[in-house]
Amino acid sequence: MNLRKALTVDDVIPEVSAVTVEGIIREMVAFLDGRGKLRDAQAALQSVLEREKKMSTGVGHGVAIPHGKTDTVDELVTCVGRSAQGVDFAGPDGERVHILVMTISPANRTGPHIQFISEIARLLKEGDRRRAYLAAEDAAGMYRALLQ
Amino acid sequence: MTHLMTVLVLQVAVLTLAAQGMGFFFEKKLRQPRVLGELAAGMIVGPYALGRIHIAFLHQPLFPVFPGETMHVTPELYAVAVLASIILLFLSGLETDLPTFLRFSGVGSAVGLSGVVVSFLFGNLITVLLVPSVTSMMDPAALFLGTLSTATSVGITARILSERRRMSSPEGVTILAAAVLDDVIGIVLIAIVVAIGRLGGGGIDWGRIGVVAAKAFGFWIVATAAGIAFAPRLVRGLKRLHSVDVIVGTSFGLALLLAGLAETVGLAMIIGAYVTGLALSHTDVADEIRERMHGLYHYLVPLFFAVMGMMVDFAAVARVFVFGLIFSAVAIAGKLVGCGLPALAFGFNRRGALRIGAGMLPRGEVTLIVAGIGLSAGIIGPELFGVSVMTLLVGSIVAPPALIAAFRGGSGYRNADDKADAAQSTEVHLDLPTVSAADFIRARIIEAFRSEEFFVNRVDINSPIYRIRQDEKSITLVQRGSDISLVTAPENEQLVRLILVEEIVELKELFEGLQRFGDPGELGGSLLDGLLGDDE
Repeated sequence: MNLRKALTVDDVIPEVSAVTVEGIIREMVAFLDGRGKLRDAQAALQSVLEREKKMSTGVGHGVAIPHGKTDTVDELVTCVGRSAQGVDFAGPDGERVHILVMTISPANRTGPHIQFISEIARLLKEGDRRRAYLAAEDAAGMYRALLQ
Repeated sequence: MTHLMTVLVLQVAVLTLAAQGMGFFFEKKLRQPRVLGELAAGMIVGPYALGRIHIAFLHQPLFPVFPGETMHVTPELYAVAVLASIILLFLSGLETDLPTFLRFSGVGSAVGLSGVVVSFLFGNLITVLLVPSVTSMMDPAALFLGTLSTATSVGITARILSERRRMSSPEGVTILAAAVLDDVIGIVLIAIVVAIGRLGGGGIDWGRIGVVAAKAFGFWIVATAAGIAFAPRLVRGLKRLHSVDVIVGTSFGLALLLAGLAETVGLAMIIGAYVTGLALSHTDVADEIRERMHGLYHYLVPLFFAVMGMMVDFAAVARVFVFGLIFSAVAIAGKLVGCGLPALAFGFNRRGALRIGAGMLPRGEVTLIVAGIGLSAGIIGPELFGVSVMTLLVGSIVAPPALIAAFRGGSGYRNADDKADAAQSTEVHLDLPTVSAADFIRARIIEAFRSEEFFVNRVDINSPIYRIRQDEKSITLVQRGSDISLVTAPENEQLVRLILVEEIVELKELFEGLQRFGDPGELGGSLLDGLLGDDE
């Protein structure tokens, strides 16, 4: 799938300031809402929080992929962020999470939704890429580090 | 016209019923390939047996003998058989495993090529030596019998290997790769031989043979290359219509179109059908097309075999029975020697070489199609047609036990650690507490892949093995009891894991929901309570 089509440099948050899992999710959903990508921000927030409650989306190596499904979006909506301070997502290795990838996908429409997350996960498997992403100076640098 | 159609419909009806019945009997009771039963059905109801009995209300026999003709079948019925052979070869092309062939093209090419060359020479030479009317290796009849010795039907081998879990053994992958090349060369060989046959007998005109060969290879290469390059784009375009029926229908239409085009340039129709299938085989809709065409295949293809069986003239076969047995034995020897010897040069020991030779033994539809074309073009007569059918019968009966016996014992590779199966793949396991939990999760996983716009097809109706495909991504899901495993290329591992995680999350929610539901026993009790409610 074409990651650049789903994720642009404008979808990058250089610094997510919240310090709790819920705070991070709220902040990222608010960012998406601010970009006019959500019809119903509250429903989107609810879907991501509910999914997080069922099982942590921390995948280890300092990465978390909070995501949700709701009927209030028509296509995959996504953003990525970075937390300098790190947040405890209760991931499998207990590492604090610095790299955040959020997706909200339509509940009743087929499409490559999990494939988007898996593609990003495949890229972030590389340690050098993760380090470059965290060390980047700005959103453009983070975007380059992630997708190049 | 009405009478013609009435006869045709009655012929198709009788052949269908006989082929289905005998196919079932051979498969389930005699434990022989279905195709043998279908052939036998044609022999029994055909013009050389029951079919010649006069039917009063038709004022003729159902399958009359046409004096002076080599083929005792009406053009209308033959047309149905031709359509069936197109479907058969289209599906054979679709089932071709190009990636496996490319991965093991070295040893596969050597085994496949040598198998074709040696079998062809053996078949051709024995015909020249033993058939008085054939005096030259270039005699169309000798070329035909040589060609039909080359065909391998790897389907039987694949089924036996998969039952014994030897499919991914060095011998298994070598046989599968060799069979692809064997098919391809065999089909091009048919094209050349058919064209030579149509040029008529007489002297050897190497110039004309060269033109024919160049035309056959040219059509083959251009159509295959264009097909492989163009098919994914075509499929992508068609997928926008969101109708699998349109994709399948268009693909079948193209197979017929290419079959017709192949015939117009002087090649056999089945080549066009096979090329279309081959071109589509590496697209993600290949399994979907195969599955949807399977209905048509299941009803029409037995008819093809039955029509071929009809053409067996018992009196003619009796005249060449001894030659038929010798020819069948030589054809088996050709495959064993031709495929086994090169295997020895690629690190296999004698046991491995024997296994590969035995794996290439089964013969099938292509043998009959070649023979049918030869008979209809007047290149071979009823005697040699009978020999072809005998070769198929002997090969099909001998091959399975020979293969099973060959695969007993230790490794067939000289260096057992050096596995030919170097395929890089990764496996993700899910061990569920019960089989029914595994059934439930399997259904959910399949649904999850479908909602990610993957095509999911059950590989075998009798066992829970699924192929999950989207563009170049391919995943195999296998359920063994309460264990589910997904095998795929390493680059798809994240996707598989994430899909499984999401399903586990859903399952967790389902369990929690069920707990809130209350006592299932109580609920069941309240449902049963009204079952025999008092009407009075």
